[in-house]
Amino acid sequence: MKRAHQQHRHQPFDSILAALSVDLLIQILERVDDPRDRKAWRLVCRDFLRAEALHRRALRVLRLEALPGLLRRYAACLDLLDLSACPGLGDHALATALFAGAGSWLLKSVSLSRASGVGWRGLAALAAACPRLESVDLSHCVGVGDREAAALAAAEGLRMLRLDKCLRVTDVGLAKLAVGCPALENLSIKWCLEISDIGIELLAKKCRDLRVLDISYLKITNSSVKSISSLGKLEVLSMVGCSNIDDEGLQFLDNGSNSLRSIDVSRCDNVTASGLTSVIEGHICLQKLNVGDCFPELAPLFLSKLNGLKDSLTVLILDGFQVSASSLKIIGVNCKNLSEIGLSKCKWVTDEGISELAAGCVNLMSIDLTCCRMLTDKALMAIGEQNKKLVCLRLESCSLITDKGLEHIGTGCPNLEEIDLTDCPITDTAMKYLSRCWELMILKLGLCDKISSEGLVHIASNCQNLRELDLYRCIEVTDDGLAAIATGCSKLQKLNLCYCIQITDRGMKHLSCLEDLRDLELRGLHHVTSLGVTSIAIGCRRLTELDLKRCNLVDNVGLCALAQYTGNLRQINISYCPVSSMGLCKLLGTLKCLQDVKLVHLTHVPVEHLELALRAYGGQLKKLKLFIGLRDLLSPWLIQMLHARRCRIRWVDKPLVFSP
Amino acid sequence: MVPERRRPPEASSKSSCSMMSESPRNRKPDLPFAPFDSTNLWCGDRHGRSFLEFSPPLVTQSSGLFGPDRETKSKKQHEPSPVDDPVMDWNPRLMLSNLSFLEQKIHQVQDIVRSIISHEDQFLDQANELAAQQQLVTADLTYIIIQLISTAGTLLPDIKNALLSTNPAVGRPGSNQKQHEILPVEVAKASQYDSLVKDLNSCGGNEDELIKCSNNSGVDASEPIPIEDHDTKDNDDGMDGENLPPGSYEVLQLEEEEILAPHTHFCLICGKGFKRDANLRMHMRGHGDEYKSPAALAKPSKEASIEPQPLRRYSCPFVGCKRNKEHKKFQPLKTILCVKNHYKRSHCDKSYTCSRCRTKKFSIIADLKTHEKHCGRDKWICSCGTTFSRKDKLFGHVALFQGHAPAIPMDDAKVLVTSDKAQVSEASSGMPGNMGYNFSGNTSLDAQSPDIKGVDDGHGCFSPMTLDACNIWGLAEFPHSAYEVSESTFSFLATGSCSSIQRNGEN
Repeated sequence: MKRAHQQHRHQPFDSILAALSVDLLIQILERVDDPRDRKAWRLVCRDFLRAEALHRRALRVLRLEALPGLLRRYAACLDLLDLSACPGLGDHALATALFAGAGSWLLKSVSLSRASGVGWRGLAALAAACPRLESVDLSHCVGVGDREAAALAAAEGLRMLRLDKCLRVTDVGLAKLAVGCPALENLSIKWCLEISDIGIELLAKKCRDLRVLDISYLKITNSSVKSISSLGKLEVLSMVGCSNIDDEGLQFLDNGSNSLRSIDVSRCDNVTASGLTSVIEGHICLQKLNVGDCFPELAPLFLSKLNGLKDSLTVLILDGFQVSASSLKIIGVNCKNLSEIGLSKCKWVTDEGISELAAGCVNLMSIDLTCCRMLTDKALMAIGEQNKKLVCLRLESCSLITDKGLEHIGTGCPNLEEIDLTDCPITDTAMKYLSRCWELMILKLGLCDKISSEGLVHIASNCQNLRELDLYRCIEVTDDGLAAIATGCSKLQKLNLCYCIQITDRGMKHLSCLEDLRDLELRGLHHVTSLGVTSIAIGCRRLTELDLKRCNLVDNVGLCALAQYTGNLRQINISYCPVSSMGLCKLLGTLKCLQDVKLVHLTHVPVEHLELALRAYGGQLKKLKLFIGLRDLLSPWLIQMLHARRCRIRWVDKPLVFSP
Repeated sequence: MVPERRRPPEASSKSSCSMMSESPRNRKPDLPFAPFDSTNLWCGDRHGRSFLEFSPPLVTQSSGLFGPDRETKSKKQHEPSPVDDPVMDWNPRLMLSNLSFLEQKIHQVQDIVRSIISHEDQFLDQANELAAQQQLVTADLTYIIIQLISTAGTLLPDIKNALLSTNPAVGRPGSNQKQHEILPVEVAKASQYDSLVKDLNSCGGNEDELIKCSNNSGVDASEPIPIEDHDTKDNDDGMDGENLPPGSYEVLQLEEEEILAPHTHFCLICGKGFKRDANLRMHMRGHGDEYKSPAALAKPSKEASIEPQPLRRYSCPFVGCKRNKEHKKFQPLKTILCVKNHYKRSHCDKSYTCSRCRTKKFSIIADLKTHEKHCGRDKWICSCGTTFSRKDKLFGHVALFQGHAPAIPMDDAKVLVTSDKAQVSEASSGMPGNMGYNFSGNTSLDAQSPDIKGVDDGHGCFSPMTLDACNIWGLAEFPHSAYEVSESTFSFLATGSCSSIQRNGEN
């Protein structure tokens, strides 16, 4: 890209289009995958920018103020618009932005997840402006209710809709959607607690094409399952935590239609093995079965019925069961094609059982053994030897495993992408073994207090794709380790350094070259000063979440740097930091994207100034954490205003204690 | 109960409407109570100002229209009469605005007709165009008529009650009798209303069809779910559970006139009618001492019933009805009361409108009263305007019909209306001033979206939508619930081709 840039500078008057037509430019652009390279491309010249605009299909808006301009540029070709990072987006702003496209919208998918400012007027404008709308995500917009659902129901072609945690949607809203959008295929109404059997019944009658349905945590009964069972095309059914549904309800699903591919009945307290047996019998093509935390014991009948799903079943989640070695053996024999198994918090899981399972299911790609405390290196050896395709392994709190076991994993599972070793007694040697897994993306080493910088050097030497690294309370880690990580794992996006008390500003300086870093936790780092935070702020421009709680040396200078450079910051925790009024006002006055702010025990900020700072904030605050003592000191008007702007205040009742 | 006794001697009249109204009494002008004829009201000198300014254009338009117009006017004269009727609280302002709108409308028609006259020569060449213009005029006139009826319709009970209280002859038998009278009079009201519509049907040859279809939307469509209605109501029409083999009973079929007659028992001396035999006997005491004897006062049916009577069942005179004896799966009706209720519910216009919700209509006043006990508690509303007291009933209804959806409860709808008003007024300012062709506009709209049709059905032709569409938007005092107003907003927007906001109002 850089070369192209220079070329353009040398011949400023000749359009690049003379040499390369737009078509060709777009074809080149298709081969540019990395978003950073794309950004460089956009900066080359106007023609490149135009070509990119023609090529772009998806757009995620990070800052609200940029929305109108972005839409003006990209309106014509966009398929997907993601507004989930714009909680301040209101009806008017959305409607205005949509009218900028002047009716030429081809948008198919819009994500408004957590964009809680959008109401029914905005949604009505959206439905009217985008006739091809197929997919809308409104999850976690807690204010969305029937009126919003009704506005959305105007989008007749809607095929996918997520309404997770839209707390005010009732049966009426669901009915509006069911009538208005008969083509719905994928619907999630998880946590919409107002919806009852009646709404589900109507949904099942009106939306006959439903393939994916999530009704988790609803207070629905067996009659809902009966109506759902009439959906001939249903493939994926999630009903997590529906405690009113029991075996009788599950028996309705056994109605001869074989469409169901995946069923999730985890945390349904009243479901037992007999109900599940009927589901298995009815759907011989079932691929995914999640029965976690339903009932404690695996019945032999259930296990033997798994034989019926021999070829199809690929995912089996058995969290919280009592799974003996013999059960695992039966699973290993019956489910040859299993690619994922969840045994989190299962009792009686032994090395023997895992060996049997690993021997039976050689295609396993994901194994969750969280809190299977009886496991030793033998189990890891079996996995390493049998499951060569392993991608994800979770061993949190398996306190008997050692470095030796991980040697087998490191050698046997070259495709490993994710491993969770939280609270395992491993040392740097284990890191050396794991560094062979060069595709590793997620590495969790929280509470592994024997891991030092040496181990990180091993990881950094080979795992260039690492995205997420958790070093929570790895007290041996020093700045050198961070230097290695910063150079070796340049794609790191999420880093947890909480209570790695040896880290200083030098380490921060190293980290500042991680351009992709989005989530950084620096809790309790006593040696990190504002200088370190400043270098982070300057280097990591994409930072969206930052935790500086109890960083006793971070003061106004650090906050000012954050205010100046990290415009995308969405969450910040500066509790217990010795910041003063100026820094806080600067921070809240400048940053526009902040959604979640924790300001507990800011001893250097007087109440009046805190109030001033909060009033100065111009964006849309969603969560605010304050000391409970301030509740009576802050003016009620301010609190009222914050509530009116849909900000939730959490009052913390902890006394001020200076921890070491 | 012998049929002959029930049959009133005057019932030989052919026209059902005249029979239902006051014509039987007209035949006995020498009877102690005055004939009840609205003609003498017309001739009264209380011509309202509005009447004067109103009638001339109509006369110039079509003489056939004069009749109904006069009738409605005559009713309007009685508006100010001091009748304290808490139920019918009609709104004079609203009426005035309706009338002034009608006036506008008539002027428009006048203009059209004038232009036809002035371009007569041209039209001679282009017969098609003339026909088109004619159709236009016809449509407009029909619209005016219907609007007029709807305007007057709210007054019909008023005039009746006014007559009751002001005409001493009617109330002659004493205050007791007056109360007895109320029921039949209200029935008569309905029938008069019918006759009005029927007269309209016959007044203009080529207008017939248009009027009929508008009537359909107005009267018939007021019951959007006739099937359901019948299912529930027929239960108390008798015969359910009774499974008599055909031929084991005698089938009697009453004629429509008999069924709809307000009275079945008539005084042979004065001709006064009664619903019950006992009431007639009580009445007879006033005609002389011979009627006071215990024998005369005793129930006559007792002796009659001593003789073994064949099992008697009744057939509905409406051909094609399941209760009609010609029907393949004929189900007879058990009693005469069943016949009456069945016929009124299934084959008569529903002229009793609930004063509270103004949507539910009934043909039997008892049904209305039953409904009024529950009305207002129906918080579950469908987009078609039907209300339900239970959520599952609403959802069952929604599941049954294509395009129907639950409406969002009223308090929200009000917000919607106020917020939409601004948009609407904006939109309306951009509309052409001549709104004369709502008829065709609305029907084509119906064809486009089945969704909307349901809504329109709920109102019928008397809905405010047609009026609203004509820039009388400031009418906050329209006698409709907020919910309905929101619907009309929507229908207006639809006609205004603001397709983007089309669905807003429906919410």
